[in-house]
Amino acid sequence: MTTQAAPSTTPWYFQPSTIIVTGCLIAIINFGVRSTFGQFTLPISEAHQWHRETYSLAIALQNLLWGIATPVAGALADRYGSARVLMVGALFYAIGVAVMNYAGSPLMLNVGGGILAGIGIAMSSFSIVMAALGRLVPPEKRSWAFGIATASGSMGQFVFSPIAGGLISAYDWHISLLVMAASTLIIIPLALPLLIQNTSTSKVEAGETTLTMRQALGEAFGHRSYLLLVAGFFVCGFQLAFVTVHLPPYLAQHGISKEFAGWAMALIGLFNVVGSYTSGIIGGRGEKRVPLSLIYILRSVAVTAFILLPITQTSTMVFTATLGFLWLSTVPLTMGLVTVMFGTRYMATLYGFAFLSHQIGSFLGVWLGGKLFDMFGTYDPVWWMGVALGLFAALINLPIRETRAPGFAAA
Amino acid sequence: MMWPGHRFALAFFGGVLVVWAGTMTFLMHRSALPPEATGTMLAVFQPSTSADKAFATIVAAGGNVVRKSSFDFIWVVTSERPGLAGRLHENGALGAYRELPISPTIAGCFALADAKVEEAFQ
Repeated sequence: MTTQAAPSTTPWYFQPSTIIVTGCLIAIINFGVRSTFGQFTLPISEAHQWHRETYSLAIALQNLLWGIATPVAGALADRYGSARVLMVGALFYAIGVAVMNYAGSPLMLNVGGGILAGIGIAMSSFSIVMAALGRLVPPEKRSWAFGIATASGSMGQFVFSPIAGGLISAYDWHISLLVMAASTLIIIPLALPLLIQNTSTSKVEAGETTLTMRQALGEAFGHRSYLLLVAGFFVCGFQLAFVTVHLPPYLAQHGISKEFAGWAMALIGLFNVVGSYTSGIIGGRGEKRVPLSLIYILRSVAVTAFILLPITQTSTMVFTATLGFLWLSTVPLTMGLVTVMFGTRYMATLYGFAFLSHQIGSFLGVWLGGKLFDMFGTYDPVWWMGVALGLFAALINLPIRETRAPGFAAA
Repeated sequence: MMWPGHRFALAFFGGVLVVWAGTMTFLMHRSALPPEATGTMLAVFQPSTSADKAFATIVAAGGNVVRKSSFDFIWVVTSERPGLAGRLHENGALGAYRELPISPTIAGCFALADAKVEEAFQ
């Protein structure tokens, strides 16, 4: 006698494959569109006869808002479900980018490209997607899901930037910016399958904490391992932002052409996809703190070798490929550790605070890079600072205890 | 429920790249200069084209080399005779562009359009 498996009654739009695909597409669009903003620096500045600082200020404001709004967006996602937050975020994002297109004054640009887009990016970001996936996928697949979502964000920045550039060349920057705004609206239908994860009506899942949000935050910020993780993530932000902004001029100083520098930077984007995905796989196989420490050590080793050896096209390519592999690979492991320590109930909020620390590190990486370059005429002090911070991050991640924090332990 | 795995991820990213390649092909075609265009422009050849072959094509099209890019298949060329873009295309170039629409950039988690960075390249 044979038994037949009962046919699945889950509609196609709530099937695991659909959820993963739509979640990853959201990550691609969210991270992709924001990666195009550099393409509009010149056209917008020239069209309005603004100094480039005007546009820079709006983008800086956007990055700041993104960091500040991420814990808030996370709290909303933990309370009302990721899908609703993603949909509202997409609206903010689209309106913000559209306002950039029609901005006739720096104030409007700051409101649109800075505030609205910054909030929109936070609310529709891949960390909100990961929170949904973290709750939906079984624990043994969770790290893989974090990996593929992060890799999708990386893929987004690799594919969207040339598309925006191509649209500017083929049409004009207005069309390109409006297409980017329209793209963010696609997040709304893509978020529909994530409605299956609806935390606003569901009871507390078995094994999850019964603490209130306020209590959970108090417990988390009194938990040593979480503080170590958050401090380590600060270093991640510092290193990546410094490289993103200051590596191209550093290469120019050493005789590397602008176009070669551009392609070398693209290698970071490409290898980032592979690194993020691999990190998700590794995180699912055992302890997460060890590979996380290793990433910080390898970054320090790569930077040391790069700045001590002669800067050539080959060394640049090897460096950017290595760094790309280690770029966002911290994200699946960091998100994974948050989940291990605190479960999934408040994961978006608690990851959001870690990300805020990351963004503060990013701001300092960019700012100090410029400041110290002006003071010393060389980027070397900041490179070495990045190396030292990398070793510090490696050390402080090692004592992290990969167990449920007190108060969050399963009953 | 059955959750997907590595093959699924590979297919997903492959699919994204295919859609992207199609979009970029369309945009590259749209942003190419019209045949009658002349002046200074980028001549783009197939990536497998050698530097010698590209140089010969440019000369055959009546263009003067301004400089080669970091890649053998992308050259900055110029001519005062009308129709350089069309002649380059007839002689085997993929297209001619005022500037290459593909400008790879990354945006880490703090992409700041820093004026000082722009100035470093001026």
